[in-house]
Amino acid sequence: MTAYGKPLPRITPDNRPFWDATRRHELALQRCAECRRFRYPPAPVCTECLSERVEWVAVSGRGTVSTFVVFHHRYFPSFAADLPYNVVQVQLDEGPRLTANLVNVPNAEITIGMRVEVVFDDVTPEVSLPRFRRATT
Amino acid sequence: MTIRDRTAIIGVGTSRFSKAPTETPMRLAAQAFKSALADGGVSRDEVDGLVINIGWPLGVDYDRFAEALGLRIRFADQSWTHGRFVGPTLQHAAMAVATGLARCVACVCGVSFIQERGLLGGPGDFEGTREEGGTHEENPVYGLTAPAAGAALSVQRYFALYGATSAELGAVPIAFRKHAALNPAAIMRSPLTLEDHQASRFVVEPLHLFDCCLVSDGAAVVLVTSAERARDGARTPVFIAGMQGMRAGPDEFLFATPGLGIGQQREFRYTPTEEQLSVYRMAGVTQKDVDALYTYDAFSPLVWFVLERFGFCGLGEAAAWTQKGRIELHGELPMNTSGGLLSEAHVSGWNSIAEIVRQLRGDCGERQVRGARVMQWATAWGDSTIFHS
Repeated sequence: MTAYGKPLPRITPDNRPFWDATRRHELALQRCAECRRFRYPPAPVCTECLSERVEWVAVSGRGTVSTFVVFHHRYFPSFAADLPYNVVQVQLDEGPRLTANLVNVPNAEITIGMRVEVVFDDVTPEVSLPRFRRATT
Repeated sequence: MTIRDRTAIIGVGTSRFSKAPTETPMRLAAQAFKSALADGGVSRDEVDGLVINIGWPLGVDYDRFAEALGLRIRFADQSWTHGRFVGPTLQHAAMAVATGLARCVACVCGVSFIQERGLLGGPGDFEGTREEGGTHEENPVYGLTAPAAGAALSVQRYFALYGATSAELGAVPIAFRKHAALNPAAIMRSPLTLEDHQASRFVVEPLHLFDCCLVSDGAAVVLVTSAERARDGARTPVFIAGMQGMRAGPDEFLFATPGLGIGQQREFRYTPTEEQLSVYRMAGVTQKDVDALYTYDAFSPLVWFVLERFGFCGLGEAAAWTQKGRIELHGELPMNTSGGLLSEAHVSGWNSIAEIVRQLRGDCGERQVRGARVMQWATAWGDSTIFHS
């Protein structure tokens, strides 16, 4: 097996619980313990009420493609073999949007509004990346 | 108290624009600076303010520029190295003059995007690794990099919401290429057809190559001083009539109108209020008085977004609105008459500020907007400055 050569997430005190959860193949988001609003990316206070009280909550991993692009230009040598590859933004049913790749769907079949669900890709022993596939149910 | 008509541009200068790395940004900036002094009839020692929006590693920093050019600066400012700060940087210059912090402020931009093109995406995209994602939604973990990606994410959703097409988007670079053909300083002057646009390779789909700006080297310098001083200058003064600042917050994604729903941007139906477009009130004009509009056209969709953001047309209407020559030189609203970033050069938008000054002085020859009195700089991210002669 060759080493994973693509960029890895920058793990910080604020986002570590997110990446700890993905290692367990769970998608977890911060939810404000005061106003109950989900937020992403991870932040020390609630965007709405500025409360610092927060809980990490496992979410459904289901959502809708809100937009997408297909890369044709080779920016990263480590992605060269994947060209042309997609990147999607998924609006989770809980509200926030995640950026990821859509797997097992030809680029020409991707549409805005498509229902998707999370899958996890164990790219290194320490990091599992959430990606999405077409919703199965 | 308002800043309306209290400050003016007294001189402009530009270097040669090039797609081949020829000179250092410092050399280009020095040329443009000397040319601006000569243009305005301003002595070097009169310049006591210096503002810069694109510094190292793309461009020249304020400290080295002041040392190298022997300037005694009492108001220096430099923003984050992103072209979005053209408007705010110019506004700082005007505010510094209006408040007496400086008499004459040089806005300096000398850049080499060619030498540093690695910063524009790929392994050199250090900003994309910011914990919360890059400023154009970059996320290198998933291969999402380069400013073009941000514009592509937005226009894909725009296409889907409003039924617009890539062929309609082609009207934007085609218009600006026509303008560049009339501009001897422009880099890309050969005609661009819709077929060329549609046949060009995708960079980040749905953006074609010709939806993306040039990667070039160049410099531009704009000298801002008091209205009184400018009236005694060598050339017709170009007054700064009104301004509004750059927007930020949960409703904003840099490369979209508010409400489009990109990144974490809130989704809603955007209709600009008078309060959101206060630049017109300050300048005492309306959109109908604007003889030409200039914007940061790094990618063609930004032209659609600025038209909707500033109420030149309604939400979702820009695709149809920009057809049939409407934004061309002899159209209802000429835009980016020098060719802009798409066809003249990527001098971070300062080439368009220089163009506004030259147009309002009536210096533009074949590409002159006839009878031009009022021109506007405005961006998809909400800042704007209005000028008049």
